[in-house]
Amino acid sequence: MSRCGLFLRRAAAAGRACRALVAFTASRRPLRTSPQSRAFAKELCLGKIEKNGVFPFPEVSQDELNEINQLVKPVEKFFIEEVDPQKIDREGKIPDDTLEKLKSLGLFGMQIPEEYGGLGLSNTMYARLGETISLDGSITVTLTGHQAIGLKGIILVGTEEQKAKYLPKLASGEHIAAFCLTEPGSGSDAASIQTRATLSEDKKHYILNGCKVWITNGGLASIFTVFARTEVADSDGSVKDKITAFIVERDFGGITNGKPEDKLGLRGSNTCEVHFENTKVPIQNVLGEVGGGFKLAMNILNSGRFSMGSIVAGMIKKLIELTAEYACTRKQFNRKLSEFGLIQEKFALMAQKAYVMESMAYLTAGMLDQPGVPDCSIEAAMVKVFSSEGAWQCVSEALQILGGLGYMTDYPYERMLRDARILLIFEGTNEILRLFIALTGLRHAGRILTGKMNELKWGNVGVAMGIIGQKLRDALCQTVNMGLTGKLGLVHPSLEDSATKLEQNVYYFGRTVESLLHRFGKSIVDEQLVLKRVANILINMYGMTAVLSRASRSIRTGLRDHDQEILLANMFCVEAYFQNLFSLSQLEKNAPENLDKQTKKIAQQILEKRAYICAHPLDRMS
Amino acid sequence: MSRVRAVLLVRSLARGHAALLGAPFSQVPHLAPRSLHCNSAHRTSEKSVVPHPPEPGKKPVKVPVPYEDLFQLAPGGTRDKASFMKALQSFGQHNVRKRGHVDFIYFALQKMPEYGVERDLAAYNLLLDVFPKEVFRPRNFIHTLFFHYLLQQDCGVAVLHQMESNGVMPNKETEFLLLQIFGRQSYPMLKYMRMHLWFTRFLNINPFPVPRDLPQDAVELATLGLQHMEPDLSARVTVYQRPLPDDKTDPGDPTKPHIVGIQSPDQQEALARHNPARPLFVEGPFSLWLRNKCVYYHILRADLLPPEEQEVEEIPEEWNLYYPMKLDLDYARSGWDDYEFDIDEVEEGPVLAMCVAGAHDQETLAKWIQGLQETNPALARIPVVFRLAASTGELLTASGPEDLRQSQREEDDDHLQRQQQGQS
Repeated sequence: MSRCGLFLRRAAAAGRACRALVAFTASRRPLRTSPQSRAFAKELCLGKIEKNGVFPFPEVSQDELNEINQLVKPVEKFFIEEVDPQKIDREGKIPDDTLEKLKSLGLFGMQIPEEYGGLGLSNTMYARLGETISLDGSITVTLTGHQAIGLKGIILVGTEEQKAKYLPKLASGEHIAAFCLTEPGSGSDAASIQTRATLSEDKKHYILNGCKVWITNGGLASIFTVFARTEVADSDGSVKDKITAFIVERDFGGITNGKPEDKLGLRGSNTCEVHFENTKVPIQNVLGEVGGGFKLAMNILNSGRFSMGSIVAGMIKKLIELTAEYACTRKQFNRKLSEFGLIQEKFALMAQKAYVMESMAYLTAGMLDQPGVPDCSIEAAMVKVFSSEGAWQCVSEALQILGGLGYMTDYPYERMLRDARILLIFEGTNEILRLFIALTGLRHAGRILTGKMNELKWGNVGVAMGIIGQKLRDALCQTVNMGLTGKLGLVHPSLEDSATKLEQNVYYFGRTVESLLHRFGKSIVDEQLVLKRVANILINMYGMTAVLSRASRSIRTGLRDHDQEILLANMFCVEAYFQNLFSLSQLEKNAPENLDKQTKKIAQQILEKRAYICAHPLDRMS
Repeated sequence: MSRVRAVLLVRSLARGHAALLGAPFSQVPHLAPRSLHCNSAHRTSEKSVVPHPPEPGKKPVKVPVPYEDLFQLAPGGTRDKASFMKALQSFGQHNVRKRGHVDFIYFALQKMPEYGVERDLAAYNLLLDVFPKEVFRPRNFIHTLFFHYLLQQDCGVAVLHQMESNGVMPNKETEFLLLQIFGRQSYPMLKYMRMHLWFTRFLNINPFPVPRDLPQDAVELATLGLQHMEPDLSARVTVYQRPLPDDKTDPGDPTKPHIVGIQSPDQQEALARHNPARPLFVEGPFSLWLRNKCVYYHILRADLLPPEEQEVEEIPEEWNLYYPMKLDLDYARSGWDDYEFDIDEVEEGPVLAMCVAGAHDQETLAKWIQGLQETNPALARIPVVFRLAASTGELLTASGPEDLRQSQREEDDDHLQRQQQGQS
């Protein structure tokens, strides 16, 4: 096995040379192109499609592709032949020899730069490898807990010394990392973090005290990224509590674990409480700036999300294989299950979801791999929301195909269902991420539109007339053309209809955002139901763009089975288009489709009584 | 209005007619000289649904009440539903032709609370069953028009009225009985229909329902009252002092009134944040009516902070790890989308706790404050001022309870008048 690991390293080293070349050309790219491409999702909120970086679909070079394939093959083989997810789930623990092999495969250092002994994978390659490791949920979570969040802080803001000290051992898997942010009283509310680090009298140490809960790898880890309050002197001399990140080794002492939590799914991964009691942390171990923990935590959380798309896509592809085999062999009424329309529909759905989330994930990974530091946090969040919900839906549909068999613990399906449920919750619940997506987009649009809004508020006749004129033109069936279609369009003609639908959606979404900002202004932060719809539309539009871009590329380069891609892309675009139209009409003022008021009232009445308040249907007055 | 007058005219005519006819139509065979007029007087005075206890002040001339013997208890018997039913049955046995049933029914109505059956539908149905069937049904439209057997109809209405006052919903059996006795076109039937209509609409109209049978125990009643007032469901009720059981009370021992308090977590938090330089006030007693019982409560409250001392809650910059909590845009909701009414709201100081105590003196309430200090350590540092009203705020009349009763009776008559006008 160690030979295999060695082989991987060598493969990675081979790739290094060519990547250096790529990096060289990449570093020159900004000189040639117009100013750095603006974030795609933010431009959507203004009713524009930012084509740079999205069309054409990002590609990897042949060398990189070979490198990835060389990496993936042994990992895939290992997962298929030697990992027993059933056993891991039943025993609630990943066996030690499996962990050892994962380490020797180098999977604990996928994104750690090569100079520190990691594989130094780009985001795209990381996503590709994620597809393979998704075959077991517990291992996936252990690995992502280790590197997507646990040690990400060191890569992002660590000093040279910190990197040199910790990364090699983390890359080899000798040390496992954990990310300690959540507390009993603090989920997404950073202001209620209670863990405190106080500077010792000799000013060489911080004394860390507090309790962190639900820490992935909490029991295995020897390196912790811990967020705690520290007193920071402000520029004006006042002392304030601010959050600071620390690298804490288990050897610093005073660290204890609670017992591993018993969970619904991902039972093989280790999740437990971690207590810090007078742990002495040297000041060299402050991660980033003192008081800069909040931003760091946000960055780490934002950067880790995009990989869920490919991980889930990998899982669904596997699921399709398993259920297709069942549907093609099981017979009822002398017909195979696969002949029934209702079963076929489910396969189409699963394929569509997998296709869309794959496209979104690799598009985002490609954007992230662009030179510079592109801010793709909205796109990553959209991938996370779409893929987690798709996963839940697909696994549930797969269970429908399997009938009672899916419910039995002898088969892997119920485990997949249990494992998939957490995807909607962790790394920011989907509700919170929807708010993030919508608010970040609206903030961008709001800033740019400030001038126009103020003119409107002051009753500038010219601006108002302009808007009225625009509405008139919209009403008179003005066709929207954003340059996606046409003779030299970016989208292949067989997807032309879908591209026009996307353009229409984007255009009217821009109008809607304008009117929303005009109506609600900054108080839109409190209109969560409105924000949810805005986020849904954005996610759909991003999905449409991703599939259009990918399918166009597939057709033009002549990939195999691209006719299926056309079908899937068109199907998704039509569905998303009508969903968007409905959402847009709900966002109009006084729309009859909009039942927000009633929804709120019902909820308020129930929450006041804290119970379901309707009388029983069998109740009588006399 | 003219119609009302016509109705009243017809009524008096009917009465006079009956008086003229005299004894043969009398419903009271034992007391022939009292005749119908007397009878009707008896009716109006007994019309009140509230049973009057014997009045100690003025001693009325002892008039033997008819049918009292039917309600005489056998030695060792208790007044309960069974004995009431038995009394009703014995009327039927005692009087096959059901003579004097109107008087009997009025009398039984009056007796119902004593037997504890004033909320029992079966008892009312049995009482209605005393009426002879088919006799009072109007046979033609003229009967319907001119109050066929007015006395009996009034009596039927009185039964229904008492049901209404006690919140008893008539059922199909009641309807069937009324149909048999008075027919569809009659006042009792009309009353029944109205009850059926309005009861269903009013029964659950109170969004804060009070249980029908209130607890007898003072502590439980206090708990109920406090929970009734407190909007926060996570508020906790604490019994700071239990009253001494009756049998153990020593005459030398000082009395130990009950003290029950309620406080919600939010109130506790507000109390912990309270500035110790500003005093708190215990105020009361205030009254709370739970059906026919009154509970007096006290509140612990603070004064509203002057605007210069109110802390403006600022949104911390680093608060939400996931999404922006505020947008830094300089335009807010447009006037066209502001559906809030312009309401002048008077802000009051916060209420920090409530209690119901058996006594309204400072000594008792100080014990409550002491008890509160256990869960609210901050309270020990805050001065508490007792601002207790001398009286409970209850309506006290100089002449005692009789005037009250008198006024009540007038009210009842008034009510009757209105009811008749409403019917016509």
